Amino acid sequence: MEELLPSLKGMLKEAIDIDNDALNLTITLTVKNKINGVIAEPEEVGIMLKMYGGLTEEIPMEINIDNENQKIILKFKNEEDFMEIAEIFKKIWDNAIDLLYQAIKSDFSRIKNIPDIDD
Amino acid sequence: MTDPNAIKNNPFIELGEIPEKKYKEGYIIETAYITVRDGVKIAATICLPKGLPPNAKIPTVLTQTRYWRAMELRIPFRWILDSMVPNAPNPEVVTSRGYALIYTDVRGTGASTGSRTTPFSEEEVKDGYDIVEWIIAQPWSDGNVVSKGISYTGITAEMFARNLHPAIKAVIPGHGFWDPYTDVAFPGGCFDYGFIQMWSFIGKNLDLNNPKVFRQVMPDAWLVVKGVKSVKSDKDLELLNEAITQHKSNQYVYEHTLDKSYRDDQILDGSSFDDFSVFAHKQEIARSNLPILAWCSWLDSGYGDAIIHRFMNTPNPHIAILGDWSHGAILPANQFFPNRTTVTPAPRDKVNAWINFYDKCIYGEGIQGKVIYYYTLVEEKWKKSNVWPPFGHNYQKWYFSDNFTLTQEKPESTVGEDSYKVNFRATTGRNNRWWALLGLPITYENRAKVDEKLICYTSQPLESDTEITGQIILCLYLKSTHDDGSIFAYFEDVDENGKITYITDGEFRVIHRKILTENPPYKILIPYHSYKKEDAAPLVPGEITEIKFGLHSTSVLIKKGHRIKIGIAGADKDTFIRYPAEGRPTITISRNSTYASYLEIPIIKKQQEGEK
Repeated sequence: MEELLPSLKGMLKEAIDIDNDALNLTITLTVKNKINGVIAEPEEVGIMLKMYGGLTEEIPMEINIDNENQKIILKFKNEEDFMEIAEIFKKIWDNAIDLLYQAIKSDFSRIKNIPDIDD
Repeated sequence: MTDPNAIKNNPFIELGEIPEKKYKEGYIIETAYITVRDGVKIAATICLPKGLPPNAKIPTVLTQTRYWRAMELRIPFRWILDSMVPNAPNPEVVTSRGYALIYTDVRGTGASTGSRTTPFSEEEVKDGYDIVEWIIAQPWSDGNVVSKGISYTGITAEMFARNLHPAIKAVIPGHGFWDPYTDVAFPGGCFDYGFIQMWSFIGKNLDLNNPKVFRQVMPDAWLVVKGVKSVKSDKDLELLNEAITQHKSNQYVYEHTLDKSYRDDQILDGSSFDDFSVFAHKQEIARSNLPILAWCSWLDSGYGDAIIHRFMNTPNPHIAILGDWSHGAILPANQFFPNRTTVTPAPRDKVNAWINFYDKCIYGEGIQGKVIYYYTLVEEKWKKSNVWPPFGHNYQKWYFSDNFTLTQEKPESTVGEDSYKVNFRATTGRNNRWWALLGLPITYENRAKVDEKLICYTSQPLESDTEITGQIILCLYLKSTHDDGSIFAYFEDVDENGKITYITDGEFRVIHRKILTENPPYKILIPYHSYKKEDAAPLVPGEITEIKFGLHSTSVLIKKGHRIKIGIAGADKDTFIRYPAEGRPTITISRNSTYASYLEIPIIKKQQEGEK
C-alpha cells in the first residue's frame, strides 16, 4: 500500500475536478473515471470532509448527486460556509494521502482528531 | 528471504524464470453469487484477463477467505480503485499469466449468506467442491482449478484438496496451521488469549459489516474501507443485508475457549480444535495426491512447525519453504538484521513463482518427490533437503550449571539448584510471533532488559561456527510452590559485545508434562504430550518433576565466539493467560548429578569434502 501512495495522490487529482462557483455558492465535484452505479451517497460527502478534510462541525449544505453525469453539487446558504469548504477542498486529497501514510507508519495522532464517524 | 544475494538453493529462483506475460491489457472484474448444495449463496469476485478471446480457455486460481474477499472503499478512493483485496494474490500478475482469479467469501462471512459455527467447517470445505463445479462450467474455464492463500486462506487452500475433485490440480497453503491447538491457540498447552481474542473480535465485526472496529485496531484500513464489497447483481443490497442478518448467529472461538484447557475439550458445537485441524484430514489430502507448495517463516507463530509437520506427514509431491519474514511475508523478521526494511522477493515476484509452480502442475510434468527449502539465519543462505530432519542432524546436550552457565559437561555435584519467583510482568510485548498473525511486525527488542525478569543460563563462547537446525528440546527438573504454572523458554545468541538476539522460544503448561509412549497422531521430533484431560496432572508442590518439551523450529548459525543463552520465565503477560490464575509460584530448577536439567540442541554436522 505504502508504495502506492504517491501515485494515489496524483490519481485523485487527475480523476476529480473541483469547480467553485462563488456567485451561486456551489462547489461541484466531477468524477472523470467511469463509475458503475451510484457515485456516492450524500452522507459519504460529509464523512469525506470530516475524515480527510479536518471538518469538525456540521456545515449546512444541500448535496445533490447526479449519477448520470458523475457530479456531486454542494450548495451553501452563506459565503462563510462556502469559503470554509472550498478551502478544505484545496488540499483534501493531499491531506487524505498524508493521513494514510501516517497511519501506515503507525502514527495515529491525526486520526485521533477525526470526530466520530457514523458509518 | 531478505538477503538478495542468497542465490544458491533459492526456491524462488529454482521455481523458474518469469516468462513473458500472456495478457498485457490488464484485467476485468466480475462478481457473482454461487449457490451451493444447501442454498447458501457464496459471494465471488472474478478477475479475467482483459482481451481474452471468446474461445480461449484458461485455468483458475481460487482463494477462499473469511476476511472479506473485496472491500467497498470510501469516497474518493472508490473513484480511483475498484476495490481492495486483502490476502489475495495480485490480480494483475495472475491474470497476465493467463489464469482467472476467483476469490470468495466463505459461508457466513463477507457478502456470502449462511452462518458459521467453527472455522474450516465440513460445510465450508464442501463448498469448495460446488465452487469448482461452477468454475468449470464457465465458458472461459479450461477445467483446471488450483488454490492459493495466506493464513486463513492458506488453510482453506489446503483443505480444498480434501474435495478430491478431478479438476483440482495443485494447492499452495501459505502461513497456515497444521495443528491449531499447538500451532496457534494453545502452544504447549498455554492459551494464546491475546491473538484469539483479537481475532474473534475482528471476525465478528467483519461478519457484521462493521468497519468502525477498524478505527481502533487497523486505523489505516479504517481510513479507506467502507465495508464488504457487495455483488453487483445485488443492486438494492437485499442479499447483503440478509447475509449480515444470518451472520448474527455465527459463533466465535474466543468466547468458547476462555474456560478451556485441553485438546479434547469441546469448544464449539461439539467440535474440538482437532476437528478443524489439517492433520486430522491428512489421509484425505494424501488420497488427493495433489502437489503441495507450502511456505511460511521460522518466526511466524507455530506455523513454521506446521510446515515441518506437513512435510513429514504428507506423502504428496511437495515443495516446502521456510524463510525469515513475518506472517504473510509482509515485513522482514530476521532479528539479526533489524534494519532491513523489505522482504525479498517482492510480493509480485512471489506470485510469479507460485504461477510457475501451477504451470508445472497443469502444463508440465508436475512435481516429483519432496523438497524443503529453508533459510539459515546469520549464515543468510538457503538450503534444501529431501528429508526432515536434514542430513547431518545430531543432538548436542548442554547442561544447566552453576553460576547460571550452560556447559556440555554433566554436573558431578550432588547438589545444585536455582530458585526463581515467577514475575508475571514478564512479556515479549505485542510484536512477537503470536501477535504477528494480525499482520504486526515481529520484533524481540531489548532482550537484555527483558532477560532481567527471567532466570537465564549462558554458555562460554563457542569454539567454532555451529549450525542449529530443528527443534531444541528443553528438559527441566524442577519443583514449584504451586500445582500449576507455565514455562516460557527463550533461546538467544550473545555476540562478542554482549548483544543479545532472540532466535526462538517455546512455552509449556506444566500440567501437560506426561510424555506418552504411544504414537502421536502425526510424526513429531519432540516429546509427545497429548494435552488431553485424562493425561493432565497437577504438580505436587515441593516435589521435583521432569518437564520436557520442544521449542519452535529454527535454523541459525551461531558464530564462533558467540554464546548461547536460555532465558526461563513463568509468564508472557500480553499474549498468554497466566497459570496459575492466582498466586505467585517460586520454581526451583535442579542442576546436579541426580537431576541434571539440560537443553538438547539439534546441530547440523558440517559435510566433509566429497561427502554426499
